[in-house]
Amino acid sequence: MEEIKGALALIGYGLAAIGPGIGIGIVAGNAVQAMARQPEAANMVRTTMFLGIAFTEALALIGFVLFFIA
Amino acid sequence: MEQLIWASSTCDPATDIICKPEFVNELFETPVVFSLGGFEVNRAMLLMLLAAVIAVGLLFFAYRKPRVVPTKYGVAIEGLVDFVRDQIAVGVIGPDGIKYFPYLLSIFLFILIGNVFEVTPFVNFPITSRMAIPAFLAVLTYLIFVVVGFAKNGFHYFTGVVWPKSVPLALRPLVGLIEFVSTFLIRPLTLAVRLFANLVAGHVMLTLLLASGFIFIKEVGDIGFRSAIGLGWFAIGMAIFFFEIVVAFLQAYIFTLLSAVYIQTSVHPEH
Repeated sequence: MEEIKGALALIGYGLAAIGPGIGIGIVAGNAVQAMARQPEAANMVRTTMFLGIAFTEALALIGFVLFFIA
Repeated sequence: MEQLIWASSTCDPATDIICKPEFVNELFETPVVFSLGGFEVNRAMLLMLLAAVIAVGLLFFAYRKPRVVPTKYGVAIEGLVDFVRDQIAVGVIGPDGIKYFPYLLSIFLFILIGNVFEVTPFVNFPITSRMAIPAFLAVLTYLIFVVVGFAKNGFHYFTGVVWPKSVPLALRPLVGLIEFVSTFLIRPLTLAVRLFANLVAGHVMLTLLLASGFIFIKEVGDIGFRSAIGLGWFAIGMAIFFFEIVVAFLQAYIFTLLSAVYIQTSVHPEH
């Protein structure tokens, strides 16, 4: 049973990483578009982008922690 | 790396599916150098001390004798300091962000040096991959933004989070609950875990690739020309090595930037 448990935690982490992966892609892609359209707003967009990435990434990080706990 | 080599020599390829150390934790256990009474001083603690000394030394030698035309070294450090001040402290928090600039600069330099230890030859151990250090830094940021929030806005800081006025009344309890959990529980957790996870992943990846390259090449007598696979692993390991230098800078920047953003939301709530 020990080994099955470990493998399940790995699969759980993989599933937890799907959503944030797509989300960060959308955030970064739109930020690049915004910076290309309005280069003078690049600094503001970059800060907001990192904030958005930080919130999106939280789910993947919780998955990572659960992988260690499980 | 010793644990990995040791694991590969004790495991039997005929029966074991994967040759791995019994606990991945072994990669992050460092030997005790000496003990002082009840305290055991290990390598990670000494590296922490070294990181602090390097951070202080960098600034001390750059600003010891201010000149009209600074030296190349002075310009480099000034660039780093200006970057943290203009882009992070003042850029994110606003004009009164200069008050938090010393704190932001200290954590930036400390995390940066701690991360760069990962790719420093003969050190090869990122101190930020021990959970205690990111957790402590995240707790510091947490204390600062909570205390600043209550000091600047009184109890309205708390009610502004759990009872946001800009949201329709019917949704307020739900949004307030989500905001409460995300502000006071998830923020410090993710701040610490982000740094920790990136450095752990980098350290494990480097160890696995470089050690497997080493093991394959060491076995050249037994397995003949097939040990050339090891060269491939080693090449990928070196590519990841340069990638990890970027990660070291990026993670130090993100930790500092998010600390500034969190402080900013306490200084000017509802923005």
